[in-house]
Amino acid sequence: MADPLLFRLRVTYGKTGRLALLSHLEITHALERAVRRAGLPFAVTQGFSPHMRIAFGSALPVGVGGVAEIFDIFLARNVNPADVLDALQSASVEELYPTAAKLISPRAPAASVAFPYSTYEAELSVRVTALAVPRTVTVRRKKKEKELIVADFLADGPTCETTGAGYAVRFTLQAKEDGSLRPDVLINACLAESGLDETALMGLTRVAQTARLVH
Amino acid sequence: MAAQKKALSTALPSVWNKLEPLLRRIERPSRYIDHEWGSVRKSDADFHFCMVYPDTYELGQPNQALRILVNAVNATEGLAAERAFLPAVDLIELMREEGLPLFSVESCAPLSSFDAIGITLPHELAATNVLEVLDLAGIPLHASERAEDDPFVIGGGPCAYNPEPYAPFFDVISVGEGEEATPELLCVIRRMRRAGANRQKILREAAKLTGSYVPSLYRWRCEGEAQERGSWIEPLYEGLPTRIEKRIFEGFAESSAWEPAVVPFTEAVHDRLNVEILRGCARGCRFCQAGMIYRPVRERSADNIVNSVLRGLAETGYDEVSLTSLSSTDHSQIAEILSRLNAALAGTGVRVSIPSQRLDSFGVSMAELVAGQKKGGLTFAPEAGTQRLRDVINKNVTEDDLFGAIDAAFAAGWRRCKLYFMIGLPTETDEDVKGIASLAQRAYDRAWAAAGPEARGSVKVSISCAVFVPKAQTPFQWDGQIGPEEALRRVNLLSHSIKYKAIDVHWHDPKTSFVEAVMSRGGREVAAVVEGAWRRGARFDAWTEHFNEQAWRDASAEQGVDPEACAQTTYDVGYIMPWSHISSGVSQAFLARERKRAEEGVTMPDCTFERCTGCGVCKGDVANMLAAPRGANHG
Repeated sequence: MADPLLFRLRVTYGKTGRLALLSHLEITHALERAVRRAGLPFAVTQGFSPHMRIAFGSALPVGVGGVAEIFDIFLARNVNPADVLDALQSASVEELYPTAAKLISPRAPAASVAFPYSTYEAELSVRVTALAVPRTVTVRRKKKEKELIVADFLADGPTCETTGAGYAVRFTLQAKEDGSLRPDVLINACLAESGLDETALMGLTRVAQTARLVH
Repeated sequence: MAAQKKALSTALPSVWNKLEPLLRRIERPSRYIDHEWGSVRKSDADFHFCMVYPDTYELGQPNQALRILVNAVNATEGLAAERAFLPAVDLIELMREEGLPLFSVESCAPLSSFDAIGITLPHELAATNVLEVLDLAGIPLHASERAEDDPFVIGGGPCAYNPEPYAPFFDVISVGEGEEATPELLCVIRRMRRAGANRQKILREAAKLTGSYVPSLYRWRCEGEAQERGSWIEPLYEGLPTRIEKRIFEGFAESSAWEPAVVPFTEAVHDRLNVEILRGCARGCRFCQAGMIYRPVRERSADNIVNSVLRGLAETGYDEVSLTSLSSTDHSQIAEILSRLNAALAGTGVRVSIPSQRLDSFGVSMAELVAGQKKGGLTFAPEAGTQRLRDVINKNVTEDDLFGAIDAAFAAGWRRCKLYFMIGLPTETDEDVKGIASLAQRAYDRAWAAAGPEARGSVKVSISCAVFVPKAQTPFQWDGQIGPEEALRRVNLLSHSIKYKAIDVHWHDPKTSFVEAVMSRGGREVAAVVEGAWRRGARFDAWTEHFNEQAWRDASAEQGVDPEACAQTTYDVGYIMPWSHISSGVSQAFLARERKRAEEGVTMPDCTFERCTGCGVCKGDVANMLAAPRGANHG
């Protein structure tokens, strides 16, 4: 991806409200269209079927929101990031909304691998003081069942807190090279382990993505 | 005494709080959540209209009628329009369990809370879905059972040209183009509701509008009486029209080809900007309903189209635009339009597409203008395998046209080509069926020769065939369909006649084509069959995995309707068909003349290239409107 002739702009955006229900593929299409509507001077790949040079951060499952999601867009000429942000905001819907834009090095690691730690906040309808964490969770991928050891992924938490709005649980997951544990799968497993119903989960949001573990 | 009149309201209720928890349990929730780019919620209106596509969001959202009518209604003072679709089966089941009614996308309001709902009838296999929509919405299925505060249910679209199989389910069926007719009809309902008129009075007033058919105001005659009197319908009151003339949007050519569009989150069937560049087609293929009902031919100008495409791309962010119409390469300025778009869109990664290729080398050179480096497959529709039968159907295309197109396409770098044919066209013999095999094999030989030595291994030709469905308002409306068993025999004959391994044959299920023919040709008695089939579980009939033939068979038996007779009987051109009271502007006399010419193998020209053929559409201000003379640079 490193092309010294291109300018690489990192955009932070929120996937919130009911648009948390979008899939990663739907998010990528929607963002590409916002970039086109914003009239940005995006670079286009050479070759058989030319397309926009854009790269997305790690995916969120359907139903999980994010307040600091990331994509990188490669531009053919230098632009003022503040102007880009303005243009993108006016081309975006409220719940899929860019909040920051900055130029970064074309050689910086890809957004999808630069931030292996994701911190999530689960909103619960019932008060819990401590959430039990199962040792393993069973996930199904392409009809194959696989058992994941939670400790391999769970870097921090879950910590329970009472917020102004209700009850929240925070935890941090680390993405591994050979796979990840989905935050919704983990929280539902924890709820079950704690004898709570899945309906107690009101919402799940990625609140931060970081390069290193931050307590 | 009279039931309470419904008061006009400014706000719609929302069922979002009930829907939201269900969205976690179903596939692709993004179809039901609104908030797409371009979605409009008009607040300053006291009359609410919901436009419904009777199938799922991904099929319905790209539909042109839905977009046009929502825009037209929203552009009218006092009226607001929203969209609704039939949910996928997983959500329908949950909604029934939870007692959640069908809702609009924008306000998430129950359909029953709207003043009027419009349901487009895009093809013959959507009828059971219309009932699914009404039932899920909690709106009585029959117009006759609706109370004063139920919404007015309005139908329209291609199937309105034979409205009878849908008649009991609709208060009004709108025939023809809706740009002006739909807001006008809604304004009548709004004005009269304000004045306190009851439903019956409003319907009688609506029936006076050109193009609006109110089935409940007419008695349905028996066959003998209909043939003797020259019409199947008899007005119940004085002053009702006995012939419903379709509406034409006369401002089409001048109107902007860009109009606001909703950009879906989920992947839709035609996930791109659609720009309608011309309306109508006068090629005169005798089986083709679209070619009859959308006349006259009206072209938007090159300037209008180019500006609209660029504006539409900028406003939607799409990376593909399709120049839509029944025959886009017939546009008199198509070469100029494509060249200008190519120049304007260079380096943006935007693709321009044309929905179908005209069957000659000009068509291929137009396809080449927009193909860039990526050349997938080309699709051509010779429709019949022999020149004799192509003359019968007035497909004015010769073998040389096809081979010229193939030579040009494979020399230009295409490697795959799909050929569309129909099985069971009137007068078809086994020789015509074998002719399809012969034509395809010779097309393959030409493709192989034109492709050049290094590409020959990848040359592919495929045949796709569908069973002929006789359509209302066409010269072949009197012709019966062949039975499903006979259709399969002919398809087998075709398959066995093909000696080349590189040619694949695909065909549509003749059983669904049979139901299409019943719906296409049936009278009002077929409505009870639709309802019976739906009660037996038929819905999503156009989806192979949902099609339930037995439900249709059992419902026909119960109602004493002979579906074979309905689909397969061939009549003399003097026979009054069940839609003779609906007029597309093309006269029944012209259709009858065309049917006779078909028998004689006499072809007729396209009036936009040559002389008038006397179809009867042009009168008064209604005439073909071309942006430039056709045939000057091609044809």
